[in-house]
Amino acid sequence: MGTLMKYLVLAFAALAITFNPAHAAEPTGEAMAATCAACHGTHGKLGTVEYMPLAGMAETEFVRAMQDFRSGKRLSTLMGHVANGFSDNEIRAMAKYFATIK
Amino acid sequence: MSRVYLFAGLILAMNAAHAGHEAQPAPRTPSVADVRSTLAEMPRGDVQRGKQLNQSLMCASCHGDAGVAPTQNWASLAGQRAPYTYKSLLDYQRGGRHENPRATLMKVAVKGMSRQDMADVAAYYASLPAKAAPAPRLDAAAHASTDRLARRGDPARLLTPCASCHGAAGQGGINETPALAGQSVGSFVRTMQDYREGRRVTDANQGMRQFAERLTMEEIRELAAYYASMGKN
Amino acid sequence: MLNRRDFLKAGAGLALAAALPARAAAGTAHVVIIGGGVGGATAAKYLKLYNPALRVTVIEANRSYIRPYGSSEVLTGHASMDDLNVSYDALKSKYGVEFVFDTVVGFDPTKKQVRTAGRQSIAYDKLIVSPGISLQYQAIPGYSAAVAETRAPSGWIPGSQTALLTQQLKAMRPGGTFVIVAPPNPYRCPPGPYERAALVTEWMRKHNPSGKVLILDPKDSFVTDATMQLGWHRLYGYNIPNDYLSDMPAGVKNSGKPSPIEWVRAMDGGATEKIDARTLTVTTKQGAVKADVLNIIPPMKAGKLAFDMGLTDASGFCPVDRRSFESSVHHDVFVIGDASIADAMPKSGFSANNQAKITARAIVAQLAGRAPGEPVWENTCFALAGSDYGLFVADVFRLKDGKIARMPGERYLPLDASMTKIRLAAAYQQAWLKTFTEDCFA
Repeated sequence: MGTLMKYLVLAFAALAITFNPAHAAEPTGEAMAATCAACHGTHGKLGTVEYMPLAGMAETEFVRAMQDFRSGKRLSTLMGHVANGFSDNEIRAMAKYFATIK
Repeated sequence: MSRVYLFAGLILAMNAAHAGHEAQPAPRTPSVADVRSTLAEMPRGDVQRGKQLNQSLMCASCHGDAGVAPTQNWASLAGQRAPYTYKSLLDYQRGGRHENPRATLMKVAVKGMSRQDMADVAAYYASLPAKAAPAPRLDAAAHASTDRLARRGDPARLLTPCASCHGAAGQGGINETPALAGQSVGSFVRTMQDYREGRRVTDANQGMRQFAERLTMEEIRELAAYYASMGKN
Repeated sequence: MLNRRDFLKAGAGLALAAALPARAAAGTAHVVIIGGGVGGATAAKYLKLYNPALRVTVIEANRSYIRPYGSSEVLTGHASMDDLNVSYDALKSKYGVEFVFDTVVGFDPTKKQVRTAGRQSIAYDKLIVSPGISLQYQAIPGYSAAVAETRAPSGWIPGSQTALLTQQLKAMRPGGTFVIVAPPNPYRCPPGPYERAALVTEWMRKHNPSGKVLILDPKDSFVTDATMQLGWHRLYGYNIPNDYLSDMPAGVKNSGKPSPIEWVRAMDGGATEKIDARTLTVTTKQGAVKADVLNIIPPMKAGKLAFDMGLTDASGFCPVDRRSFESSVHHDVFVIGDASIADAMPKSGFSANNQAKITARAIVAQLAGRAPGEPVWENTCFALAGSDYGLFVADVFRLKDGKIARMPGERYLPLDASMTKIRLAAAYQQAWLKTFTEDCFA
């Protein structure tokens, strides 16, 4: 095997290790937000119920809440488990979406 | 055979008595004297123990590690006066608070708390500095009119100044009168609406309702922004 | 009943003149949904949200929906049968979803039409099939639909059997045994049989304190098994099997005394071989058990309609393209909810709700000539070990190598969770019954 070929193989191997297929493509903020709706209401809109309404939530609040749930800094019943399934980028995309809902 | 029927009937009757959702006790409005005697029995709070309880009882999840609510959905408690926090916790435990379904979570959270626990948590929040909360900026005119309302009241509507009980810097006053400095806008507005519309009635003689119902929603929102921006940045 | 060939013929024989046109106006596609349960209703609502110009028709046999989630609470009187009733009015008035209250008796995938018992022919551009599950009563010797309606109810699809089971529990003799025969995997609502066992035990403590609950299981484990058993242990003195005991928090010790709730696993001879409906006797490898109330949750497969339409494979469920839930058998036909093969996703209402949204997005994209976006799904199954003792499994799912995989990480209530967290989980479970129903139906 030539040196260049070896180099390419190594480069591909490195790519394969860091390349997380789950995040190869990201769902849109809106699509991800729809998964929240089963508890937090369609479009994150709720009357007054036990769950946190997400519609109109400030982006920074949403991002911080999800990141803190994920890291365990903020205590939760199950939000830590859910937040664990999303990347920073995805959390930001969801935050953008919810912030636009009036 | 008849005994079987009798027993079945009994079970049915017993079940009927338990059927349906838990009945909510009718909220009772205390007198000034009631509140005084409640507060007179408040144990001395232990700040360090309160800090631990803030975590182990999951208060911190919604009210923050240092009493600053991470979202608008919940009240900030940093700098809150201990008698107010203590009384609120007792109100939840006694079943007097169900102004909205969020109160359900508080009723769950206070289940099993002793008076000492309540006093400790209250002491912890009281020991923390109030932080300014994010709030819409009031323009000069709105700020001036809100400041006047807060500090001078409006005699034409028989509105005494907020500051006369809650302090000129929103630091709270005597007895259970809460601090307002640094309160989250969402929580402030919701609380005033609950007083205004008679959903929250566990304050002495429903005193807050008289004020809340004479204010417009616009004024309430401006007061919320005014008090949210008080406190340390 | 029509067999599958008749069923397809009935679809093919449609008189074109009678068929409703697929496109009422130029450019308005018609999406037809068969089944107004969680999957179908959510799909209808979200299709209209994503593209209000679409014409969406739900074909459903019943005028209102009886929700299965939370229906074990009827047994204990915490909810009434009326509480389970969900109206379709909001889907009609708020979102403009059309309803045809009828059953489908024919299907022509070539002409893209379905036919109803009421002799309507309905043409579609895209068809969503959300038929739920069918209970395989006959899989247990001695059991049948007729026995379930009269003697040994399953109550797994709520309705008359739920009411019968409730009556039987209330009338059970003091000290009687309430036997639950749990189903094999896969089945609807994985923690459900065990939650039911818990709620019945809790109820009996008040109303029949010497009564017992016995779970006979053809499995050795179930989702949330550790947290559920810890709840039983704390609340009812349940003796935790040794292989689970080592993971339990410090201080958890079996009393060894008889407990009012017992779980007999397959490894201990819990699998049911046959039942005698007359004497309410269940025969397992370990011998015969005489029940006072016998609640059999039989094996499950996709709803009958999925078989009739030829959408199932040898597993008894429907293979789909996981990205869109489009059927692997028929083009432009989508199968969502319990009837579909969704790999790591459990057969739950929450799953059906999330699948419906992804499918609605995929259909809107297909109709617009776009590729469907990257999917993501969530599921949370809340369960109660007692009315004040909540637990759950919570997962996020992604597409991985053409299959649905759950994201790694914690998924259960931790075994060392505080009582506050446990009570909060119960409060959230109760709140979820409301918010979830709203997201699907209102």
